[in-house]
Amino acid sequence: MTDHSTRRQFIDRSCRVLGLAAIGTAAGLLAKRASAAAVYQVDPTKCTSCDLCRTSCVLSLSAVKAVNDFEKCGYCMLCPAFMDVTSMPDERGIPTGRVCPQDALKRRVVGDVDPDDPNNNYYEYVVDESRCDGCGKCVKACLPPAGNGSLRLEIRYDRCVECNECNIRIVCPDSAIVRVEVPGLAPTGHGAVSDEL
Amino acid sequence: MSCRAPHRPCGPRDARSLLGLVRRWPLGRIGLLLYVVVVLASNVLIAQWQKAPPDFGESYTFPTPTHPEPRATWVRGLDVAMLVAGLGLGAWLALGRRTRNGMLLLSIGTVAYFGFFRKGCICPIGAIQNVTLSLVDAHYLISYGVIAFFFLPLVATLFFGRVFCGGVCPLGAVQDLVLLRPVKVPEKVDRWLRWLPYVYLGLAVWFAGWGLHLTLGGSEIIAGRRFLICEWDPFVDIFRLSGPFHMLVIGAVFVAGGMFIGRPYCRWLCPYGGLLAILSRVAWKNVQITPNKEVDCGLCAEACPFGAIRQLRADRATCVACARCYQSCPFEIERRGGPSAEVQLARLVRP
Repeated sequence: MTDHSTRRQFIDRSCRVLGLAAIGTAAGLLAKRASAAAVYQVDPTKCTSCDLCRTSCVLSLSAVKAVNDFEKCGYCMLCPAFMDVTSMPDERGIPTGRVCPQDALKRRVVGDVDPDDPNNNYYEYVVDESRCDGCGKCVKACLPPAGNGSLRLEIRYDRCVECNECNIRIVCPDSAIVRVEVPGLAPTGHGAVSDEL
Repeated sequence: MSCRAPHRPCGPRDARSLLGLVRRWPLGRIGLLLYVVVVLASNVLIAQWQKAPPDFGESYTFPTPTHPEPRATWVRGLDVAMLVAGLGLGAWLALGRRTRNGMLLLSIGTVAYFGFFRKGCICPIGAIQNVTLSLVDAHYLISYGVIAFFFLPLVATLFFGRVFCGGVCPLGAVQDLVLLRPVKVPEKVDRWLRWLPYVYLGLAVWFAGWGLHLTLGGSEIIAGRRFLICEWDPFVDIFRLSGPFHMLVIGAVFVAGGMFIGRPYCRWLCPYGGLLAILSRVAWKNVQITPNKEVDCGLCAEACPFGAIRQLRADRATCVACARCYQSCPFEIERRGGPSAEVQLARLVRP
């Protein structure tokens, strides 16, 4: 009996050591390829604002939000991303419809204000992230030549739960969800990595 | 316009190509020139149409768009630290203190932190796929956290058996907590179903690394790489309190079934549990109900909801160190200051 159990113990111990060695090797091999932190981000050069970011995020309110790049924005009075230019105009000729179904795109007059002529003013457009659901309608409407293309979709890390596998990435028809290193900003051409999944 | 090969009708051939048309027909050249001018002009027009940001002067400064940073490194480190602490605590509670209540508290803590607070991510079960993808595709960026989550429970299992399953895995813990009235599953059924995790593991690895390219009777089936385990995780949508309808239904079925069948997902589906079952066969320490004495009363086998006690010994591969068996063991009750084992057993025998 003791003979049997010692043999058994010997086999166990050998397997344990082997297992530890295998785990160590595999972990070491992977650690070489690893980065401190890799996160998901929308590649705006591939994104077509297809509305799947809104429906596919595991969060009830998607972690993808529209973000306005102020340096690129034209501060237009007649912003095609803000107002639905095909809707009924009011008596001053300004369209009454809004593009955002969530009313998440807000604007305010900035600069030197001309109180008499609203067309003579500049407007700052800000996305209300507590309302924005990442549908991308404004992003699409802002595309050149109608707009300046200053709006884009972005994964906001204060909301993203960093799933093992991004649910949006699975469904994205344009492979626009890419893996980037911290700080996880949107890739600009060369920054994009491993877009195939 | 030259036509040096007389045996070949060259005129129509040249006319067929646009370049030939431009060469032969003087108006073509003008047309081309016109086209270029129009394209250039339209580009200039569009560029003018796109307004540059206005020059506000002093009255307004451009706000900088905010980019919330991903969770800080120390927060990611905290997840790993919680995992290590959980594994250590689980090993101590199940193998050292031998306390069911302790494991229960650990399970509640696990469900609260890894489940509801971290919303089920990242988990070692899903990390199988990240690791696979990283091995297959060198461009895929894997994070150190995922590596730690995948390998630490493996190491812990080599030392202490499946304590990860017992109290540190949120999926296991939630099933353990809902288990009200365990029903015995026939041994034969159980033994067959126990192969399922390896089938699932193979599928998950295949899909994570390579995806599916099949030609079946002329029709091509192509599915890209997918993380099947995450997609079909029945409990993660419960932790997130939202999810696709079919997954919520599957989750509800697993919870309802789990009230009567002990840990259905862990035993018959979980691919990571399958891996741990292999490793725990050679574990350094494992659950030993009565190491020095035994009375063949079979109360522990009766108490085990997972069919993990064979011939009055905890089966190393199947036992998830939930510590239920200690609660029913007469010797264990005696050790805790209850009535002596003989008295208890005599009570059982008496009609």
